[in-house]
Amino acid sequence: MIPAHAFDADDTPERPKVLLVDDDEVTLMLTAVALRERGFEITESGNGEHALSLLFDWAPDIIVLDAMMPGLDGFATCRELRLSPSFENMPVLMLTGLDDDASITRAYQAGATDFFVKSTQWSLLAGRLRYLLRSARVRQELERSKSKLARAQDLARMGSFDWRKPTPAHPGGLTLAPEGLRVFGFVPEDPVSLRRLVRMVPLPERRGMTRVLTEVAAQSSVLAIDVPVQLYDGRMRIVHVEAEPEYSDQGHHVGYTGIVQDVTDRRNAEDRIRHLANFDALTGLPNRRQLIWRMERALDHARRLGHQAAMLLIDLDRFKIINDTLGHAAGDELLVEVARRLRSCVRHSDQVMDGALESVGARSHRSLEAVGRLGGDEFIALLPEVADEVDAERVSQRILDAMRDPIFVAGQECFVTASVGIALHPRDGASVADLMRNSDVAMYSVKNTGRNASAVYSPMLAGRGREKLELESALHKALERNEIVLHYQPRIDVRSARMVGVEALMRWQRGDVLVPPGDFIPLAEENGLIVELSKWALNEAARQAKAWSLSMGFTDSIAVNLPPRLFSRYDLVDLIHQSVSAHGVAHRAIQVEITETGLMGGLQDMIPTLHRLNEIGVEISVDDFGTGLSSLSWLTTLPLSELKIDRSFVQYLGITPQSSAVVTAIIALARSLGLRVVAEGVENLRQMEVLHRLGCTLMQGFLFQKALPPLALEHWLQSTVLPRKAPWIVQAGNVLIEPPRTSGGGRRR
Amino acid sequence: MNAISNDLGGATGGDADPVACLDAAALAGLAQLDPTGANQLVVRVLNTYLVSLARLRQQVVDGMQQHDVPALRLAVHTLKSSSASIGALDLAALCAAAEQAVRDDQQALPTAVLERLLAEAQRVDAAVRQLLNH
Repeated sequence: MIPAHAFDADDTPERPKVLLVDDDEVTLMLTAVALRERGFEITESGNGEHALSLLFDWAPDIIVLDAMMPGLDGFATCRELRLSPSFENMPVLMLTGLDDDASITRAYQAGATDFFVKSTQWSLLAGRLRYLLRSARVRQELERSKSKLARAQDLARMGSFDWRKPTPAHPGGLTLAPEGLRVFGFVPEDPVSLRRLVRMVPLPERRGMTRVLTEVAAQSSVLAIDVPVQLYDGRMRIVHVEAEPEYSDQGHHVGYTGIVQDVTDRRNAEDRIRHLANFDALTGLPNRRQLIWRMERALDHARRLGHQAAMLLIDLDRFKIINDTLGHAAGDELLVEVARRLRSCVRHSDQVMDGALESVGARSHRSLEAVGRLGGDEFIALLPEVADEVDAERVSQRILDAMRDPIFVAGQECFVTASVGIALHPRDGASVADLMRNSDVAMYSVKNTGRNASAVYSPMLAGRGREKLELESALHKALERNEIVLHYQPRIDVRSARMVGVEALMRWQRGDVLVPPGDFIPLAEENGLIVELSKWALNEAARQAKAWSLSMGFTDSIAVNLPPRLFSRYDLVDLIHQSVSAHGVAHRAIQVEITETGLMGGLQDMIPTLHRLNEIGVEISVDDFGTGLSSLSWLTTLPLSELKIDRSFVQYLGITPQSSAVVTAIIALARSLGLRVVAEGVENLRQMEVLHRLGCTLMQGFLFQKALPPLALEHWLQSTVLPRKAPWIVQAGNVLIEPPRTSGGGRRR
Repeated sequence: MNAISNDLGGATGGDADPVACLDAAALAGLAQLDPTGANQLVVRVLNTYLVSLARLRQQVVDGMQQHDVPALRLAVHTLKSSSASIGALDLAALCAAAEQAVRDDQQALPTAVLERLLAEAQRVDAAVRQLLNH
């Protein structure tokens, strides 16, 4: 915004330029002298012709014309001037004689701004000139702001109008400014009446609009409506009309004054925004927000009319595999096709409705029926009215059938199945949130019992405990959401005080909480998700081995804990092979750990895999050794590399004689079989010292370090292990120097 | 220059003075437009007036002889304002009367007024010359 004084300064020349035209040389000379003395810059001219020739390429701020001149007189000169656009608004003062009324009239007719009776009172003339200059400037500003307004209105596709009520004295009618006419596609010459404009509104809307106009006019209230209009070139536009009543001085309502504005683009943009906010960009289906909105409306209706509604939660089976193997683009393609098929299974309605639902009639809730995408590979089918659960199951069966044909993506045939969970309102939930949760419960019961089916929610499903179900549901998504991470606990050789490998331990970063493995691994084992988790872990460990080999020359192995079923049911060897190949590390970069109990549980099935792993160079470690209560004879037949002493024995080392007896036995056994032995859960220097004395030098435990994220582990190595700063390093050194037995015995007390 | 102004002061003294037909106040007003006299304004104005007066007198005479009312009217109109400017108020009044007469009656010439006008013009001419030659 430019301050107003900026214009003032611009428009007030310090010495206004005056063109003085008079054939009387004496008057001309005197007037010029008098005005110059009063601060004007005077250009003199002796006749009209000469004056016009001066004005050909020059403009003063004001022109003073003697009315009576030989040749072109003041009137003719003024008329001539006004013909030129650049002098249209130039202030012109006509000098007339005293009592010369005729000249005064003629002066105005010729377009003079004002007249002045010739006199020798120069200050009067100067005052008049200043007044005229000032008013010319005000007028110029007015013109300027009028044209600015017109320009702004034109840009805003807006124009003003004025409507007068018909009265006995005046027929009334509508007057549109040129910008207003343009809104309706007219030019200023077109004859435009209110009737003609009304006829441009398509019939369905016309009646409603006429009613509104009549009501508003009858009550003299403010008018604000959007009206669809078909222009004569066929285009449909939406015109916003806003007007306020006008009153006469006597307070009578005489008409309306307001604006019309073409708001089509804005409306379109609003529609687009509304669409983007309510629909999934990939599939074009209603999104979570829109679904929830529709469900809330549907539940309102169901409550009011006393019928049931159903929510079907549809989750694609193993979609992650498709995404991982064929890529995200293919995954997206597949989702689009699935969306298309799902859509055909219900009376899908694309309408976005904001508020206007109630007015559409009692069955209008039917138009809420839709399939929407919650996110990822999760969809929802909303059935606003069902007779019973059989009704809902029919739809879910239609959905399962619709998935049956293969989907072509990325040049491949993909077979997709879905698991559908059904929840009914009001039986399975009163609110949208309840229905969402319970359809989720039902859906996971399908996942757990073999997928590609549907299930109706029942409290029995939820009997397993809501918390556990929620955890399970969340765990299913954890992998997709990259919430699962591996932390690494170093394995130390205390003789050299060096790290000689790490054990990978799974963590679940659920929001801000780091879920410990004890809280989700048993659950994952129960529901089978452990297989997916393990596959992921193998791949991740291989990736990390490569990363460390590059960042710190890591050549040891990463031990990954695997569940027994992976050894028996799956082709573990291929899986490991794929993982290490993908990242370009050797097979021995991965070591697998299996618990003694796990090993004993299904040994016969596992033996082939164990042998093949051994053949390709993947070492096998038996975890929690000593707790399996097993006959030790099997140990001699298996291709094992390592035994890990269970932490429970380490815990009481140096406290109970039994524990040191067991540890001694395990170490002796391992030695006789040619196996490495590793002690877990080493927490203090005493335990370390005893283990070392007993002949076990490989250890893990909090004494050294807990499991850390990769970067933190690197940092720990750099800052603690390599500079040999930790207490256990000093201690380990002492142990190394002194003969074990002597020193150990001395410290026992 | 100051001499002229001083003389103007004395001119109001009596009817015998040839410059009595020029209004002293008007002349003083003229002089005030150029208070220091540096621009020789009064001299220039009076010289211009003399030239203008001679031309307009001739136009009045020609207009009377040729019975050219518009030319006559323009001449007396112009003479009216320039005469008023230099203080020849009687002459200006006669011009105004003549102008009014021809405007009221486009046909008849106000001969009596015009005769008096020409006679007064003669006096004013003499008075201005006296002021200048002083």
